[in-house]
Amino acid sequence: MKIIYTILMCFLFVNVSNSQKQFLTKNGAITFFSSKTMADIKADNNQVLSIIDASNGKMAIIILMKSFMFKKALMQEHFNENYVESDLFPKATFKGEILNFETIKNSETKLEVKGSITIHGKRKEIIIPATFIRSENTIFVKGEFNLLLSDYNIKIPSIVSKKIAKELKVTFEFNHKPYKK
Amino acid sequence: MNKKKIITIILGIGIISLFIAYQIYNKPHVNVSDTKSDITITADQIINDFSSDETKANRSYLDKIIKISGVISELKVVKQKGIITLKTNHDFGSILCHLSDKASQKINSLKEGQTLTLKGICTGFLMDVILVKCEIIN
Repeated sequence: MKIIYTILMCFLFVNVSNSQKQFLTKNGAITFFSSKTMADIKADNNQVLSIIDASNGKMAIIILMKSFMFKKALMQEHFNENYVESDLFPKATFKGEILNFETIKNSETKLEVKGSITIHGKRKEIIIPATFIRSENTIFVKGEFNLLLSDYNIKIPSIVSKKIAKELKVTFEFNHKPYKK
Repeated sequence: MNKKKIITIILGIGIISLFIAYQIYNKPHVNVSDTKSDITITADQIINDFSSDETKANRSYLDKIIKISGVISELKVVKQKGIITLKTNHDFGSILCHLSDKASQKINSLKEGQTLTLKGICTGFLMDVILVKCEIIN
């Protein structure tokens, strides 16, 4: 009887710790913006997958390039075909670690996320400042940073180079929930 | 007289080409509800195609207008936009259908467990197959 009880307790404990370990969102939001143009360039992606492992503060993000929605269809076409070549590189990823993850409180906590971004098949190390809020059932993250196109081998044809900024402002917002199957 | 004619013609061509350039620049997005779907498929079939060979599936489904049918496993609204999850026979993958603004207003009339057909544009596969700008068919 005692053995069965122990097994049951172990099972429960494993279950509880598992369900609390991984936090994820399947509809994270990423927006990029550049205003150095005759027309502003802005695109939204609301289908970003982001996962945080709450046991060690590791974070992983996957982005579908074709999910970036532009106001103008022509811009979206150029973005996918000429700039990021999304048929060859359909996904952008981020892999990294939230520094001092255990210090996140129930109010806005400013921390840094250190890791590497891969866009257009090119990897680059980066440190991104972000604001975290952790409650029992959510880990909320938001922030913004600048991204240099040349770091990712994204070429701008010289004919439009004056109209397109070489740097983009990226904002992100993820509301992670505990992962359950 | 002849000079005038030539100038008029050149000016005319100029105006027309400017107009065409402007039209191309402002080309509208594909209107999902008015466009015939390229592919008709079930939720189970599309997730199987993506999980067995993603590169091949990307080639056949990305950017296409897909008519998909399946059973609703979850309904939610995030930032006024409706998201419908369709059940599949796959272990953890499902189909995430992000609704258009118009279709988002109809989400309250839907129930979990109901069989549904949607039309949307496929943008790829993460943990789930993702469709955007979805319109509810029935």
